[in-house]
Amino acid sequence: MIKFKDVSKYYNGNVVALENISFHIKPGEFVSLVGQSGAGKTTLVKMLIGEERSTEGEIVVGGWNITKLGSSEIPYLRRQIATIFQDFKLLPKKTLLENVEFALQVCGKSMKKIKTIAPQVMRIVGLESKMHRYPHEVSGGERQRAAIARSLVYQPKILLADEPTGNLDSINAKEIIDLLLKINSFGTTVLLVTHNREIVNKLKRRVLTLNEGRLVSDQAIGKYII
Amino acid sequence: MAFFLSVSRIIKFSFQDIFRNIWLSVVTIMILILTLFSVNLLLAVKAISAAAVDTIKNKIDISLYLKTDAPIEKVTALKTKLLNLPNVGEVIYVSQEEALMKFQEANRKDPKIAQALRELTKNPLAPSLIIRPKSAEDFEPLIGELNRVDDAIIESRDFDNYKIMLEKIDAITKKVSEAGLLVSAIFILITLMVIYNTSRVAIYTHRNEIGIMRLVGASNTFIKAPFLISSMIYTLFSLTVVVVSFYLFLNLLQPYLETFFSGYNFNILAYFSNNFARIFGFEFFVAAAVNLLASWLAVSKYSNV
Ligand SMILES: Nc1ncnc2c1ncn2[C@@H]1O[C@H](COP(=O)(O)OP(=O)(O)OP(=O)(O)O)[C@@H](O)[C@H]1O
Ligand SMILES: [Mg+2]
Repeated sequence: MIKFKDVSKYYNGNVVALENISFHIKPGEFVSLVGQSGAGKTTLVKMLIGEERSTEGEIVVGGWNITKLGSSEIPYLRRQIATIFQDFKLLPKKTLLENVEFALQVCGKSMKKIKTIAPQVMRIVGLESKMHRYPHEVSGGERQRAAIARSLVYQPKILLADEPTGNLDSINAKEIIDLLLKINSFGTTVLLVTHNREIVNKLKRRVLTLNEGRLVSDQAIGKYII
Repeated sequence: MAFFLSVSRIIKFSFQDIFRNIWLSVVTIMILILTLFSVNLLLAVKAISAAAVDTIKNKIDISLYLKTDAPIEKVTALKTKLLNLPNVGEVIYVSQEEALMKFQEANRKDPKIAQALRELTKNPLAPSLIIRPKSAEDFEPLIGELNRVDDAIIESRDFDNYKIMLEKIDAITKKVSEAGLLVSAIFILITLMVIYNTSRVAIYTHRNEIGIMRLVGASNTFIKAPFLISSMIYTLFSLTVVVVSFYLFLNLLQPYLETFFSGYNFNILAYFSNNFARIFGFEFFVAAAVNLLASWLAVSKYSNV
């Protein structure tokens, strides 16, 4: 599903962010990506959604080589690879439901489709009772759930989560991880970027470890080792 | 279906973008209105000065003074010859008696001249041929042609004064056009900068939304189009206001022009109405092109958040 072949990324020609990264994630896997600050985790995520280009090497997603993607193809890539972030990226002046609907509107979906899909994904993340609230009226965990709901509207094959629990306490964090596991159980490949040792150790899933831009470990049932 | 849906959403986003920065939009529209109004004002000045030049040219009679003893057949022959010249529109023969009558009529209110005329035993005026060009533009070539006409019965010809006068009028018209061109160019430049800046601010205000649109896979067209559409809406709205206010302005101006052009048929309103599509259509295309260019430049530079 995700294939990295000798991928390197240098910012401004000299700052090394990633060097000679190779790995393969199969469909339906749940993989954690760990590493210290500055290890290159976000860079890897950005390359997967076409926000950054690799300097060297090849990235293939679902048989699609995205290394030299044209700017007009990127939107289609992003409908198949959904992303959530630490800071949720919700529009503050829209309700949670409207935030989800916005994602469908800007991609030209019909009103009828929007009215069925949006409440549906809200139900999946367990927000149907709070979907008419504004982001500042709900907890951090609920904001992140709304962001996850929004990421699900195109039924993505891959979900990238870049430190989704970074701003949450451990109870809310656990709920988000459980939600990601639930989404994974539907068949979506999940790549979770995290700093949280406890979460990684409890998951008992595959772990990729980055250190200073290099892939230093790839364990099938991994532990947080750095 | 999906296409019309997207178009209607893009238009909705354009209006959101206009109203969210309402004061900026107001200022932008004001500048556009000012620009378009000035351009039309210059057009009006040009049309009025052109009409004034035509009036003056039409009021000038070119006269060929003939010898007093010129036999009528020879005068008729000369008249025919003149009528065959390409730029001659009309030739009127004024006999010695008619010239005197006209002169008396013109100076009726001056007792001294009337007295002097009565004391004369002999008619002091010469017969003449008054020549009018086919149109005011033919004035200069006509003078050239008349200078080349040679006939024994011609007593005198003196067109040089006209020529100097015409040259002066033409110089003024040219200056007006040049100033108009310069002012228009400056205004176009100002418009370009204002729209560029407006789009830039609009994009800045929307940077969160743009970021999220990109994140969820909105196409580039969908992200950029609202800003281009907004600039089109500014253009259309401003031009509509200008058309209405400019006609009101012309309505106020027309009575003054009628006094100025008394006896000569010139209507500035009619001028704009007859050329409506050409003038305002052209202005729309130029303004739209300038505004599209400006907002497109801003969008390609700033919307990649
Ligand atoms: N746009 C950029 N221009 C230049 N250097 C950058 C840029 N983005 C990241 N870097 C550098 O690339 C390296 C990897 O950054 P990255 O953001 O991928 O780290 P990270 O693993 O996500 O860190 P964190 O855990 O703090 O989020 C760092 O040294 C960083 O300074
Ligand atoms: Mg990061």
